[in-house]
Amino acid sequence: MEKLTKEEVLHVAHLAKIKVEDCEIEKYQVELKQLLDDVDKIKEIEVENEELLVTPVEHETILRNDFNTRKVEFNELKKNVPVTNGNFVEVPVMVNE
Amino acid sequence: MSEYKTAIGIEVHCELKTNSKMFVDSINNYGGMANVNINEIDFALPGTLPSVNEYGIMLGLKAALALNCTINKKVIFDRKNYFYPDLPKGYQITQARNPIGVNGYIEIEIDGEKRKIGIHDIHIEEDTCKSTHAETKSYLDFNRNGVPLIEIVSEPDMKNEKEAMAYLEKLKEILLYTNVSDCKMEEGSMRCDVNVSVSKTEELGVRTETKNIGSISSVGRAIVAERNRQIQEIEQGNTIVEETRRFDEKQNRTILMRIKETGNDYRYFPEPDIPPYILEDKLINQVKESMEILPDRRREIYRNAGIQPINIEKIIANQEISNYLLDFSGNLVIASNLLLGEISAYLNKTGKKLAETTLSKEKFTHLVEKLDKKEINNQIFKEIVETIMETEEDLDKIVDAKKQDEIGEQELNKIIETIVLSNQESIEDYKQGKDRAVKYLMGQIMKETKGKANPVIANKLLMQKLNEQ
Repeated sequence: MEKLTKEEVLHVAHLAKIKVEDCEIEKYQVELKQLLDDVDKIKEIEVENEELLVTPVEHETILRNDFNTRKVEFNELKKNVPVTNGNFVEVPVMVNE
Repeated sequence: MSEYKTAIGIEVHCELKTNSKMFVDSINNYGGMANVNINEIDFALPGTLPSVNEYGIMLGLKAALALNCTINKKVIFDRKNYFYPDLPKGYQITQARNPIGVNGYIEIEIDGEKRKIGIHDIHIEEDTCKSTHAETKSYLDFNRNGVPLIEIVSEPDMKNEKEAMAYLEKLKEILLYTNVSDCKMEEGSMRCDVNVSVSKTEELGVRTETKNIGSISSVGRAIVAERNRQIQEIEQGNTIVEETRRFDEKQNRTILMRIKETGNDYRYFPEPDIPPYILEDKLINQVKESMEILPDRRREIYRNAGIQPINIEKIIANQEISNYLLDFSGNLVIASNLLLGEISAYLNKTGKKLAETTLSKEKFTHLVEKLDKKEINNQIFKEIVETIMETEEDLDKIVDAKKQDEIGEQELNKIIETIVLSNQESIEDYKQGKDRAVKYLMGQIMKETKGKANPVIANKLLMQKLNEQ
């Protein structure tokens, strides 16, 4: 396969929530293919007998006590929110059906 | 239609009864004012990092043990990526690769027949925020964001709606008795997604998933509706496709939902911000040993004590009574009759819990002994139940006072004789089999004695007298 199909590019764009212009599609068909080829090279490394590396940090997670809690007022947090309505964060309607 | 075999698998999400959230150190409490139990980690502000709630892990472990799972001692989390406003991080922290428990089972019983329903896995994850939809806007409350959840995924082992409902009842019972979750489906702390497929062969058919069903009985109805729909589609020559549906209670049918993202699109990968955590054997054993006695073991204890099956189920349905009986060492049959009878009636009437009454364990034990030795009967108990439940007065004194108050048998007999002789009409009624005659005469006796007659004795004497006539 030389390049990705147009549909594949649009699907990736949809997952990434990126708007892609028609004139850009062909460019991404090639570039994304190159990226995938690089990933395929990584896949050649034999890892079957290696343990899954979750993080390079060698320490175990330190668990948090259930009773240590902290809160920040909504008034403070909402400074980073584009639109609020009363005590709610407002977003364009999310259609799920 | 009956040549079709149905296979049902269920995914249940349960909120864990913790004080704080799973990966955020804000308070786990929602239902009140929006966006009060949050901090900057809930909003995924740049630079924020997750921290793992120890008690959340313990509850997940406890649930996995109670559901007979094999424990994955290396606790690893994964990111499930999707872009949606109810998840500001852009991913949900879950356990995809290494769930805390695998290969478990729940034993259900249908018409006396026991069957094991397999549990594929149980994993720990976090809830999303709660969204309320209006016409053009959605409103987000982040109090629910990050609330600890366990997801329990069954094998497609259930064959019909009866088994599915029995499985859910049993699962709920276990999670309630182990204090893992309060399992309130109406408040969303327990949510069910049901996978249904039909097939004429031994091979499983294509399954659909019906999401977020609001009650166990609705799960039953949704399964029937979805099974019938699939069979109808196949009979009409159509194929079933893998899709997500929802159950419409009013129309009693499942409806296709638009699908967000599926399968590979979630791009799972290990959560790099949370290094693995190892569950030591010592800890696993501690959780095992400190686990509450599970409902089925309790049923066995009650059965061995001679309690009737119908009463056993009533006890199991009431966790407070069940716990009360578990600590009790006297006559369990009398104790359970008392608790399910007059004491439950009193509690229902007053809206109190057992712990809110003055009925101490010692008083209760003494009471059961008195009933066992027939020093008092149920009728007397009924009359003194309020005094027992509401005062610190000594039980012996309460009973003695009650007995002193009663009119002696000889005196009572004389009163009954007079009443019977002056009510010839009632005697005739009685002979013709009219029950109300006895009720009327009892009323007369109580009126004459100002309620100081022991009703059991009075009734016995009255019947003797009537039958002599």
